[in-house]
Amino acid sequence: MTQKEIHNQRLVNEANARALSHLTRRHFLKESAMGLGALALGALLPGCGIGTSGGAGLDGGIVFDPANPLAPKLPMFPGKAKSVIYLHMAGAPSQLELFDFKPDLMKLDGQDCPDSLLKGKRFAFIRGVPKMLGPQAHFAQRGQSGAWVSDYLPHFSTVVDEVAFLKAVTTDQFNHAPAQLMMHTGTGRLGRPSIGSWVTYGLGSENQNLPGFVVLTSGGYLPDAGKSVWGSGFLPSVYQGVQCRSEGDPVLFIRDPDGMSRDLRKASIDAINEVNKQEYKEYNDPEILSRISQYELAYRMQISVPDVMDINDEPAYIHEMYGTKPGKASFANNVLLARKLVEKGVRFVQLFDWGWDSHGTDPSTSVDMGLIKKCKEVDRAKTALLLDLKQRGLLDETLVVWGGEFGRTPMMENRDGKQNPFKGRDHHVEAFTIWMAGGGIKKGASYGETDEIGYAAISGKTTAFDIQATILNQLGFDHTKFTFPFQGRPFRLTDVAGKVIDDVVA
Amino acid sequence: MLLSVLLLSIVEFIGRFHPVLVHLPIGILLMGLLLQALSRYPKYAISHGVIKVVLLCGMFSALASCITGYLLSLSGEYDDSLVAWHMWMGICVALVSMLLFVKVAKKENDLAYRALSAGLLVLIMVTGHLGGSLTHGSDYLTAALGSGLGPAAVAHKPIPDIKEAKVYADVIQPMLQANCYSCHGPDKQKGKLRLDDSAWIVKGGKDGAIIHPLHATESELMKRILLPAEDEHHMPPKEKTPLKESEIALFGWWIDQGANFSGKVKAFPQPGKIGAYLLALQAGNGGSGGPKASSLVPAAPVEEAAEKDLEALRAKKVEVIPVAHGSHYLSVNFVNAVDVTDKDLQLLVPLQKQLVWLKLGNQPVGDSGMAAIGQCGALTVLHLNDTRVSDKGLTYLQSLHNLRLLNLVGTGVTAQGVVSLEPLKQLQSLFLYRTRVELKDWKFLQQHFPKTALDSGGYVVPFLPWDTIDEMRPKKKQ
Repeated sequence: MTQKEIHNQRLVNEANARALSHLTRRHFLKESAMGLGALALGALLPGCGIGTSGGAGLDGGIVFDPANPLAPKLPMFPGKAKSVIYLHMAGAPSQLELFDFKPDLMKLDGQDCPDSLLKGKRFAFIRGVPKMLGPQAHFAQRGQSGAWVSDYLPHFSTVVDEVAFLKAVTTDQFNHAPAQLMMHTGTGRLGRPSIGSWVTYGLGSENQNLPGFVVLTSGGYLPDAGKSVWGSGFLPSVYQGVQCRSEGDPVLFIRDPDGMSRDLRKASIDAINEVNKQEYKEYNDPEILSRISQYELAYRMQISVPDVMDINDEPAYIHEMYGTKPGKASFANNVLLARKLVEKGVRFVQLFDWGWDSHGTDPSTSVDMGLIKKCKEVDRAKTALLLDLKQRGLLDETLVVWGGEFGRTPMMENRDGKQNPFKGRDHHVEAFTIWMAGGGIKKGASYGETDEIGYAAISGKTTAFDIQATILNQLGFDHTKFTFPFQGRPFRLTDVAGKVIDDVVA
Repeated sequence: MLLSVLLLSIVEFIGRFHPVLVHLPIGILLMGLLLQALSRYPKYAISHGVIKVVLLCGMFSALASCITGYLLSLSGEYDDSLVAWHMWMGICVALVSMLLFVKVAKKENDLAYRALSAGLLVLIMVTGHLGGSLTHGSDYLTAALGSGLGPAAVAHKPIPDIKEAKVYADVIQPMLQANCYSCHGPDKQKGKLRLDDSAWIVKGGKDGAIIHPLHATESELMKRILLPAEDEHHMPPKEKTPLKESEIALFGWWIDQGANFSGKVKAFPQPGKIGAYLLALQAGNGGSGGPKASSLVPAAPVEEAAEKDLEALRAKKVEVIPVAHGSHYLSVNFVNAVDVTDKDLQLLVPLQKQLVWLKLGNQPVGDSGMAAIGQCGALTVLHLNDTRVSDKGLTYLQSLHNLRLLNLVGTGVTAQGVVSLEPLKQLQSLFLYRTRVELKDWKFLQQHFPKTALDSGGYVVPFLPWDTIDEMRPKKKQ
């Protein structure tokens, strides 16, 4: 017997001994009583259509294989998109300075907000009667499609013909955390799976050496809703987003500690898996198989993740194109990583960039200064992303979504009734702009309109549910049939709402 | 006054039991007839008393059905002539069953008895069918025999020239027919509303006019359509196919233009998207709903690939999965495979009928492997980026007549080699970034591929003075 085998045997014996110590007389009696009940219940339930795992209907025909949770699975119909890159500007960028051109608002600049816009409404910070605030940017129509984009985004202005704008998106949450949860999990409260989890649960992932759902953050802070925006909720936990870092080790503790060789690492994982397999034989808990596969994925990731997460091997002209500086945590670096991950067959890449909350309480949050700086940080990179995906033949099968969690008011914020020192706008739920590109989205389209001052949607109103329904549709899922049984009823990402936005689907 | 309203609603309430009660006489009387017929055989000697009780029950349930049915018909939501037929046949059923009961009670087994039995059988079936036509529509039975598509799936007849088309007869009426007639048509008039004729449409329903010409937003028709889907007054009801955005817009447009029943489309202004929606009808696209069929998967079905061929690929860590549930067309991806050789590509040949999407990117395969790929004639999407394919390999791909997308990024192909793909008439996108195709070849290539989007790549995002990023970041507010 080799040293390794002796070691493994010892671990197995230890696990066995511990398992035996659980089996007391009391335990035996309890188990047998429960067991009889469970037997009876097992015979009863299939008649009610419950407990027939994998049966179509309750779960849309998706079978969860705990031993191989990320294996690619079939969509309901052939999807146009294979993967998604979702660029979330946490804090909510001002649509009135970027895409929603309102010359009439300019004329009202500095006037008191009419009572009709305030009556019965609630705002996060505006109190009393605020002043109207005209657009702070210069707008022009861009490209063949004639989309209005401001001069805050000079690079993006050159690629508008690849993009479909949704200009009348609405939400029902006016604080960051619930609104972010709404966009990504379909509810303003905690506990539901995020869209990336739903997608990897439904489709698995192409690359078996990388996580299927990767999250990258920039801007210095996590999104306000915290890690719940990439949580797996009631879906099996393997589908939660894996947060990677663009500075230092891409995934914490991915490197072997000093003195630990790769062979030893492999040996210890084998031993742990051996114990887990014994454990599985005993308890038949599918989460144990899940754990075994996670250990194996982690081991493979030790090789593949540092490789794919290293942007140093990209040529200089690509770095120039994206505006990346290797070794720093930045949105640009994350965008380049997102392209690399999608190229390697990762299903869902979620980027959060913090710092778009333009209240006007200081220069950095003003719509005429701080917002420009944020735009500069993302403009080049997101433009490069679209062009780079396009030239690699990947844009047709990669859906790119850009947006925030809500919009901003046409009024200037007056926190606690006092004029803010800089030009800023409050949170606004009745209208904001989101754009989508690639993945079978109509090029150069624009859907939805707001009134003459950009306060509310007047046509083509859409919601977070509609955007989620559209993303799922592009991946090959009917959002009304894509469900997961939980607490006695099938759950959907879009709950009981949502409609695919056909006007932006090619 | 109040009393009469209460009485009316009680009448309607009782009437609504008719659809439940009707099934009793059908079942019981048929069972009575069956027992009678069987009792001729000594083997099934059935007591005379049993048959009597069964027929008695049948008779009373038939009477109850007649009464509730009459009360229901007072609501007037159904086609009058069909209701009249159904009612008289139903009364006949009740009468005949009474006579039959008398005969059985008297133990008269004569010719009249047999004629009554046969007559009752026919009457039950005809009455039942008429009742079914009233509730489910007269085409309910036959629709299942047809193409298998419900009436809602009937596509718009393509309009040869939308400008010359009639605004009502060619645009509005087909939409009403597809979405509304089943409840507001010749067979049924829910809410006393009938939409299959201009006179009825103008007249409106129980609550008055439904159309307010020139004012779509004030018209009951539009109000109902625009209610939230979960509202109980929303039309069409939740369980029916919802209207498409284009259909809603066209209804609104038609009313805003005066709800005209005879004019031509060209006579009316077409603001905003209306023009596009109308044009879509001309192309015959107006009726298509649901997920659009992807041109990247053939419409014709294909037989399932042999499991052993799939396993041979999976053993090499190649991902092979159908493109969707219920499809045998396959998507193959080599992203996880290691040490792939040209010889391994022979494993794809047995899947030549099923294989539609293939990703071979970043694998050390070259020209000799392309011979195998060239045999997979069903391919619509082929990614060969960063492989060792050269001009020689491309000649094998000439036979891929279904190819829509070809990715040659990062290969050594030249313009001369790419031209050999000219026979691929379906090719929509060809990616040539980082190849040996040179700028001077570009015009030449475009002439040979007039219908294909050729992508040269090499895009740059220019540097602007604007780009200098200030490091100032917003501070987190508490």
